[in-house]
Amino acid sequence: MKKVKLPYGIPDYNLTEIVREIPNAEPPALPVNSKLKVIGKRVKRTDALAKVTGTAVFTADVYLPGMLYGKMFRADIPHARIKSIDVSAAKAHPGVFAIHIFKEMIEGANPKENNKKSGYPEVKYAGQPIVGVAAISMDIAEEAVNLIRVEYEPLEFVVDMDDARKPEAPLVYQTNVNQETSSGGEDIEEGLKSRGNVRGPATKSFYGGPRGNLKKGFAEADVIIERTYRTQVQTHCPLETHGVVVDYNRGNVTIYASTQSTKGTRNDFAKTFDLPKSKVRVISEFIGGGFGAKHTLGNFGVMAGHLSKQSGRPVKLMLDRKEEHVSAGNRPNSLQLMKVGAKKDGTLTALKLLSYGTAGVGLGSGVGNIAQAMYECPNFKMDQYDVFTNAGPGAAFRAPGNVQGAFALEQLIDELAERLDVDPLQLREKIDKSTIRKVQRERGTQLMNWKKPKKAGSDPGPVKKGIGVAQAHWPRFVNLDSTVEVRVMQDGAVEVRSAVQDIGTGTKTVLAQVVAEELGLKSADITVLIGDTLFPIGPPSGGSVVTGSITPPARNAAHKVKTKLIDLAAGELDTKAENIVVENSWFISKSDRSKKISFKNLAGKLRVEQITETASRSDDYGGFMIGTVGYEELGAVQFAEVSVDTETGFVKVDRIMAVHSCGRPINISQIESQINGGVIMGIAYALYEDRVMDKNTGHQMNPNLDQYKMPFSFEVPEIQIELIEEYGARSSTDATGIGEPANIATAAAVANAVYNAIGVRMTEIPITPARILAALGKI
Amino acid sequence: MISFILNDKLIHTDKPAGMALLDFIRNEANLKGTKSGCREGDCGACTVIEGQLKNGKLIYGIIVSCLTPLGNIHGKHIVTIEGINMETPSPVQTALVEHNGTQCGFCTPGFVMSLTAFLLSDEHGFEKAREAIDGNICRCTGYKSIERAALEISEMKSGLQAGDKLNRLEQNGFIPVYFLSIPDRLKKIQSNREESHEGKLIIGGGTDLLVQQPDEVFEGKAKFLRRNRTNNGITFRSDFCSIGGEATVADIMQSEVLQQYFPKLPYYFKLISSTPVRNMATLAGNLVNASPIADLSIFFLALNADVHLTGENHNKRTVPLRKFFIGYKKLNKTDNEIVEKIFFQLPDENTYFNFEKVSKRQYLDIASVNSAISLKIKNNVIVDAHVSAGGVSPIPLYLKTASAFLINKEINVENIIKANTIAQKEISPISDIRGSADYKRLLLRQLTFTHFIEFIPDKISITKLLQTIKI
Repeated sequence: MKKVKLPYGIPDYNLTEIVREIPNAEPPALPVNSKLKVIGKRVKRTDALAKVTGTAVFTADVYLPGMLYGKMFRADIPHARIKSIDVSAAKAHPGVFAIHIFKEMIEGANPKENNKKSGYPEVKYAGQPIVGVAAISMDIAEEAVNLIRVEYEPLEFVVDMDDARKPEAPLVYQTNVNQETSSGGEDIEEGLKSRGNVRGPATKSFYGGPRGNLKKGFAEADVIIERTYRTQVQTHCPLETHGVVVDYNRGNVTIYASTQSTKGTRNDFAKTFDLPKSKVRVISEFIGGGFGAKHTLGNFGVMAGHLSKQSGRPVKLMLDRKEEHVSAGNRPNSLQLMKVGAKKDGTLTALKLLSYGTAGVGLGSGVGNIAQAMYECPNFKMDQYDVFTNAGPGAAFRAPGNVQGAFALEQLIDELAERLDVDPLQLREKIDKSTIRKVQRERGTQLMNWKKPKKAGSDPGPVKKGIGVAQAHWPRFVNLDSTVEVRVMQDGAVEVRSAVQDIGTGTKTVLAQVVAEELGLKSADITVLIGDTLFPIGPPSGGSVVTGSITPPARNAAHKVKTKLIDLAAGELDTKAENIVVENSWFISKSDRSKKISFKNLAGKLRVEQITETASRSDDYGGFMIGTVGYEELGAVQFAEVSVDTETGFVKVDRIMAVHSCGRPINISQIESQINGGVIMGIAYALYEDRVMDKNTGHQMNPNLDQYKMPFSFEVPEIQIELIEEYGARSSTDATGIGEPANIATAAAVANAVYNAIGVRMTEIPITPARILAALGKI
Repeated sequence: MISFILNDKLIHTDKPAGMALLDFIRNEANLKGTKSGCREGDCGACTVIEGQLKNGKLIYGIIVSCLTPLGNIHGKHIVTIEGINMETPSPVQTALVEHNGTQCGFCTPGFVMSLTAFLLSDEHGFEKAREAIDGNICRCTGYKSIERAALEISEMKSGLQAGDKLNRLEQNGFIPVYFLSIPDRLKKIQSNREESHEGKLIIGGGTDLLVQQPDEVFEGKAKFLRRNRTNNGITFRSDFCSIGGEATVADIMQSEVLQQYFPKLPYYFKLISSTPVRNMATLAGNLVNASPIADLSIFFLALNADVHLTGENHNKRTVPLRKFFIGYKKLNKTDNEIVEKIFFQLPDENTYFNFEKVSKRQYLDIASVNSAISLKIKNNVIVDAHVSAGGVSPIPLYLKTASAFLINKEINVENIIKANTIAQKEISPISDIRGSADYKRLLLRQLTFTHFIEFIPDKISITKLLQTIKI
């Protein structure tokens, strides 16, 4: 170990240096961004040209010789025992090469509930895949699927969470269930019991369990507020649906996958088909978005594997838009009963959360993380229940739990501020111990020219304006299973390799930047090859972990290569290695700057064709999670301005000010794009998106992009972004992600602004025109 | 045999006329740059440019290839992203790269095509460039970076010197040189044109049929209305206007003569669907679809239009539009009859017309409730009135009693409230995914009020209306 001084704190606020003990192999401290050439700049995406010319090949575009097309037969009723399955006509259909019947439900919490007589899985939701067909064309595969006959014994079903909680509700599962957490999901407490369809309570998270004594806390309170909030089910809607091309090739498997985790997909496949990991290669060069739903191989991947194995041919299986909505994951809904107690000066004395949520046939609807960690409150308890319904399983979705949790918590805090007659930002100043959010509030206050909001609903006329603010909290996760290889070739070419994938966030570009900075090159000089498990394994694109996990080993591997090149340069320039400095692709002797050799010429002196170094993510400098629980993690503050037409109920978001931090920013334009995207997704969650289930049939009523409302460009308000650099001396790049923090506070900020406009709390989203009119007592 | 030019290549294909252009592009021509996102025309990932000769002039616009049957593109130029790729990136592509207008990139080719079509159009300015991408969904970027690119592109376009448009664009590296040969090459296909497939199914733009009955369209022999159109089918004679059934929503919206009579026409029609779908969807399709909330039906009901039908042996008959809808999805029309045109009197200087629509999302949404009104005023008295409303009954509804009530009435708060009370008795809304019955009743009241507030804002105010209605 060695001692190194690293930048620490926030420029223009409290920037200083801190000494950390770090492993000897780590590179020297990276100065703050203002002193760097490539990092922290607006660098163009390295793969943008492939995207704007349509030459980027997504999984949906892959074609292999002899490839078959897969399609799945899906249950058209929500709950049933399967008595028999007749695939004879489908098998005999010309052009059909393989048919596979699932023995169990692949997803969800309990795959093992079969019909004991028939051996078929029990149908637990409408759209659950049962049989797969592979044929020479998509048309023939669809025709064959239509020839499959399944005889059901229909069972009573429930798709509504409130109905599912009733004692007389039909049971989705007969027994207590557990679910292996899939990478990137909400953490799920093991071994909890179910009563009816209700499993829980889960009372713990990685922040621990309950704190203090609620009864005592509420007894000490001067003000107590108790409120109920509801959020809807939201589906991910990546533009490219889930899908794979599997070439089983007698156990030498190649999979093209639209996945957020090449590693996870490989490992799932190797386990399912009992193959060594070395025999399974996953390639994901371009991925058309994921937002949390694409972490696993998925039932379609398992199916494609069986069909390819059986037919001996590659099989492509892409979901269509309806299948994507119904079966490929969603953000669970929530019912949150919150109670807060506070002193007159704002000090929180107690915070209690009781929540219910349904992830359909799956688990993972917890929302308590943000209530547990954002504000200082000595007495805290949460009871979180998962409610099973006959609907497709939930999946991690951009800040799982925290988006729902923030909608409730941040409205509750807003209401508390009003009750205490203080500015909502002043109240947070009192109860929020996070330094970064303190600075964010200060910057936001200046930029918004923020004053204590006017009395709610006080605008004259039918169109009323409102202003609101909400905060975000996201744990700063790191995935230590992150490895990067850097190669330098004799012609001076530099290549970066990792299995980490780029789902659109810009991972390729940040890797190029970090390596270019270390080697004194430009990011365009670096070739980044990622998204292939032939390369060293990288982290899944979830939890906003990628930039914080993969850039330090990239820099470290580049540093190791640089060290070798410096040694070589020292020999060439006849000086000592310590005397060499690398600047703008030149290796220069510090003592005699006329003695220098270019990067390209130096590479030409290599004894071998290429030199290669790899590095893996070491633990955070000083140990993971520095500081007290939560407070020093990824914070954000967002402000919203809205107009509400109180005669039509139409809400228009006029402006969002998003104040964010993500450690050391690597690429400013990419970060801004992530924040813009997170904000608009938050607005859509607040106002438009809603999965609607038909209670009578158990089917989703809007499994399309026509009635499932995503925003188009005309719905986008003015968005201003203020990015605050923050150095924590955590790693050799000190970077962290931004994807999730960008999405957390928006819906709550909009809801608070709507309250300020109309004077009535909208405690349920989406805030549709009909809900506004109902809240105003007009219908 | 269907013939068209795909990028630089002349194509003759005997694939079914009902095959989606998207499938032809991706699977037959093996051009994978055009993406499939939803197959319902809602996401724009499959956007391509369609060029056609109209009155001898080559006109380009975007369409969604997932809802375009091959039968509709005979004799046209179809441009995919591959068709605009040149040795160096086009200024549209460069602008998207420079402004960081991509994230995952799956939607990107669609945006490139929409912005390129803006260059090929006669439109100018940032607002029009923004409107060009109103049918493209991006789930990643929040659109801001794409808008910055659109701004730069609109400025570049305004900076181009006057002259022949295609030549100018080619000389400045916006489009490949082969575009210059397209007009002549299209004329050759036109002269070689074969008769379109005659069949029972009549396909306008296909924007509904390819969503609802893709298999029937694929397999059935059909007549394709948008094939080889040479004009927009809109004609004027003294005070009357006739619009052909095959006219698209865009044709109507862009008609300069109609805009003189309906100054807010572009604003009204911007609320209807998206740019590519407006370029495809036809008047006849919107009427014959018989959707209770069809925007064009509601619009023309308030103009008291007549529908001209042509049946077997060219038998013609005329039906007032208000008697055309006879039940949920039921029409006063036989299977053999097609909507040849609609015919209506143009508003004079004493006529006030307005169209209103409320939906969950402001743009590109199906109405919860829509309504139109046309009032002829003489000496402060209404002498003729036609009011329509959608989403409040099984059919696009002509509000007969409310319209009759308004005749010979002065416009005042009392009469407006009475008209609403009468209208409320004529409607029978149901609760569905677009809102509850009560909500729709309230919306119709608000839209009725809005019609009059828009008409004479100095006399009629919402406050007054609301105060009076409470009494």
